[in-house]
Amino acid sequence: MEILKTILGITGISTVLAVFIIVAEKFLNNYGECGIDINDGGKLLKVDGGVSLLSALASNKIFIPSACGGKATCGLCKVKVLDGAGPVLPTEEPYLNKQELQEGVRLSCQVRIKKDLRIYIPEELFNIKEFNATVTRITDLTRDIKEYRFDFREGEEISFRAGQYMQIETKPYGKVKERAIRAYSISSPPSDKKGVELIIRKVPGGVCTTYMHDHVREGDEIRITGPYGEFYMRDDSDDYVFMAGGSGMAPIKSIISDILEKKLDKKMIFFFGAVTKKDLFHTEFFRELEKKHDNFKYVPALSNPGPDDDWEGEAGLVTDVMKRYVETGRDRHAYLCGSPGMINACIKVLTSMEFDESKIFYDKF
Amino acid sequence: MKQGPRLEMIQENMKPGAYTAHGFLGDDDRMLKDILREDNSAVERHGISHGEIAAKMRYFTEIGRRFPESTVTDGDFEITVDDHRGFIPCPFADNEKALKTNTRLYNKRTGETVYWSDLNIHMIMSHGFYEGKGSFFRTGPVELAKTLGLID
Repeated sequence: MEILKTILGITGISTVLAVFIIVAEKFLNNYGECGIDINDGGKLLKVDGGVSLLSALASNKIFIPSACGGKATCGLCKVKVLDGAGPVLPTEEPYLNKQELQEGVRLSCQVRIKKDLRIYIPEELFNIKEFNATVTRITDLTRDIKEYRFDFREGEEISFRAGQYMQIETKPYGKVKERAIRAYSISSPPSDKKGVELIIRKVPGGVCTTYMHDHVREGDEIRITGPYGEFYMRDDSDDYVFMAGGSGMAPIKSIISDILEKKLDKKMIFFFGAVTKKDLFHTEFFRELEKKHDNFKYVPALSNPGPDDDWEGEAGLVTDVMKRYVETGRDRHAYLCGSPGMINACIKVLTSMEFDESKIFYDKF
Repeated sequence: MKQGPRLEMIQENMKPGAYTAHGFLGDDDRMLKDILREDNSAVERHGISHGEIAAKMRYFTEIGRRFPESTVTDGDFEITVDDHRGFIPCPFADNEKALKTNTRLYNKRTGETVYWSDLNIHMIMSHGFYEGKGSFFRTGPVELAKTLGLID
């Protein structure tokens, strides 16, 4: 009986404490309405305190790049907070260098709004829009790569620079109960303003790629935002070397199409690395461009062609094949897209060939 | 006995959809602390360490990474490495993130094949975690050590 009384007593006290904490939290965490001053009065927002800066901005249609949906794992949602933020959190530190820390750069997903803030956002981020787009075409490119065509609603248009990317928001599916956001490069040219095309490779266990490959069908509506990113064509007089593998073809296809449509006086060579012939795609598309334009050359390279491939093209690693065609990096820009391993290998080879590091461009995701 | 709030938070991170589509626990309904304890005991019983296992995995991955998506032979072993764009964070919330690189190792001598991600190497090295039973990348530590050629 005594034991039962003790248990009931402890349970009662715990319940009272829990209720007290919940009620106290309601009052203590109520920061009321807070102001956000963006770019020295360029834009003034009123938001409810207690939410993250990233979500407060998104609910006001200002979209900061974020590939992890606010989990502090992608490090993309950097914003300069000039006034009003608390101390830098340990979750932010790995993503901020010394200079960024001195300048007040923060991960906006980790900054909780508790009072008025003064922040700085690059002007181009105001160009990022939200679209409820319809998937109008899904094309199988290889065994694990598909291309998706998203068309916007009547009257909606996008303005982007070739090479930039969009972010897809998934809906809950199967055992996945939360929405996820992931980034994918645009493969269509900027002249196509009514929609975008994305090339997506299925990653084993990937939250968004599994959603796109196994759950999305033509006719589905999906929320996408963009354009994002600093991987785009720089205006200059240099010739271009492009190197890509797998779904990394997407931004390169967009850039090449853009240059050719604009009839820019620029020599271009595109090295596309694959393992076997069945891993190649859009070959006809690039062969057609070659026929029509003297300033463009396409070089697919197979690292391990099979006996049935009947392959007479270039064989070997894409970096080795590139060296057979390009003598020096002087007066040349290089644009790379692929896995981090491929990009690292390309940078190593390019810098050894006198490519200026400041003229080698790639996406860091 | 219950596990602490930190392990509870990590176990939440391991559910499907939080970091990966399938999560890290498969159909294993044990608490994370029990999964870690039992795998740790198995490793100790065989006189090896998580560090040794992870180092051998890293060794094979680095060999395969030189020729992505092609099969490379190293003695009794065939290695194939798949490289994907992007990074994946560690569910142990230690601010570590791994490349989305997957390695397939075939041991010609034993006839066994194992499959792991770069994140598995980190989770074994730093946390002694081999994923839950039935999960996508789970290979038990003893079976893994045998296929890696560390024990007979």
